[in-house]
Amino acid sequence: MTEILQWAALVVCGGVALGRLPDAARGRNRSIFGAFLLAAFAILLSIDGPYLAVDAWLGGENYANLILRFFVYGAVVLVGYRTARAFDDRRAVRRIAGPAGLAVLGAVAAATTVFFLLADTSGSATGLGELPLRSPSNAQLIGLYATAGRAYPAFVAACLLPSTVRATRSRLPAAVRAGALLLSVGCAALVAAALYPLLRANVTGAQATINFTAVLGMSLGLATIWLAGRAAARSSARPRGTAEPGPEEPGPEESGRGAPKAPHA
Amino acid sequence: MPLPAKAFQHWLHSVAPATSTADICRIAGIKRTTLAQQLVRGKVAEATLVSISRALGLNPVDGLAGFESYAGLRDTSRPPTQAELVSQIATTDLLRAVIARTGGGEATATLSPAPHATSVRNWVDAIDDGDVRHRVSAATGIARQNFSAQLTANRLAPELAVATSRAAGVGLAGGLVATGLITEAEAGWAPGARQAALEALSDGELATLAGDRLQALGKTLRRQEQEQAQTEKIWENLG
Repeated sequence: MTEILQWAALVVCGGVALGRLPDAARGRNRSIFGAFLLAAFAILLSIDGPYLAVDAWLGGENYANLILRFFVYGAVVLVGYRTARAFDDRRAVRRIAGPAGLAVLGAVAAATTVFFLLADTSGSATGLGELPLRSPSNAQLIGLYATAGRAYPAFVAACLLPSTVRATRSRLPAAVRAGALLLSVGCAALVAAALYPLLRANVTGAQATINFTAVLGMSLGLATIWLAGRAAARSSARPRGTAEPGPEEPGPEESGRGAPKAPHA
Repeated sequence: MPLPAKAFQHWLHSVAPATSTADICRIAGIKRTTLAQQLVRGKVAEATLVSISRALGLNPVDGLAGFESYAGLRDTSRPPTQAELVSQIATTDLLRAVIARTGGGEATATLSPAPHATSVRNWVDAIDDGDVRHRVSAATGIARQNFSAQLTANRLAPELAVATSRAAGVGLAGGLVATGLITEAEAGWAPGARQAALEALSDGELATLAGDRLQALGKTLRRQEQEQAQTEKIWENLG
């Protein structure tokens, strides 16, 4: 079951990354493309077969898992920054990309690395599987390592959540609001992914579902907004200016209906 | 609540006993599947009856008045109020009238037919004694903000339009004109009634009214521009 969800998440992330490839090649919003690419690689590394192959190549010390964490952080910071900018939430931009946000990222990255190095991680194990069972101290270190790994996405998601929820209830185009709703679901799942293990002990199954919800929510949310933007750009190929209601045009208030949904050129 | 399918079919049989449903749909310009779906659901949209009535050369108000929820629609003892008539004049026409009066120009061309871009809200404002929204929501159970949302979208479900008229104590057809379901003539408004109401306005009243409309228009346009800017920012960053 868990594996099916992971493959599905990979297909979604990889699909969006592929779909954005032409735009990225033209230099448009490469950071979002990069985020999807990183996320796709991270998901790939959470699946048994690819993980073992990559980790064997890296020496079988589970460095692939550490790389996975940093791919996730990278994807999260890119998406977080872009989304905060997109929804014009200056507070979230500051919290994610300002000194405080970068300090949080630095601290989490340092903690991740330190806990990883202190733990006994020899012997490839997808998701670090049985490694915590080796000794109580190893269990604690890997527990902390995993907590750090969930903390940063949850932090960024918590920063984004207010503006995505607000956008859901705004009067923006329906597709944008639908995208914002999906992003809100994804962000809530990321926060839940960090909080849930603190509340309940044995949660591997639920965790997989929450992670999948998070990936799916974020990917589909961004994809929805992206596709809506492209559709709007295509439908308004008119030169700029002609779509603005001029004061001397008969019936300037014609734009009073439905026009906010129709993008101007 | 839209028209009950049974009563609708009864009406249809009485106005066009020999015509097949397919022919009715064809002459009325309705998709057969649409009508079939409405009949299956048991609720026929008022607009369907209006299209069919017009296609058959009948006044849709007569058809509607035969239904329980629209009883009294034909009552001509309550003609539209002056405020209702003026509310159905487009803002541009009002502005033209202002210019014509202050500039001493000729009387303007004929008014564009109702409804206009903000006719629903203007109509409700015209009949509102300050408490009508409250009474509509009490009478129909619609939440105040849903009612407002419909006004903002320049829409009002026909049964709500009638309920609003009832709550305000004005003729029942006014809201249906404002929403564009029926025309002024079908509602029994005298030809030139709006023009006459416009001429009856004093210069001061006209200027104030036009000013209010312009202000509302400005607010709408500014909000649209703001939303447009927000949307573009979203697409610029995530698109």
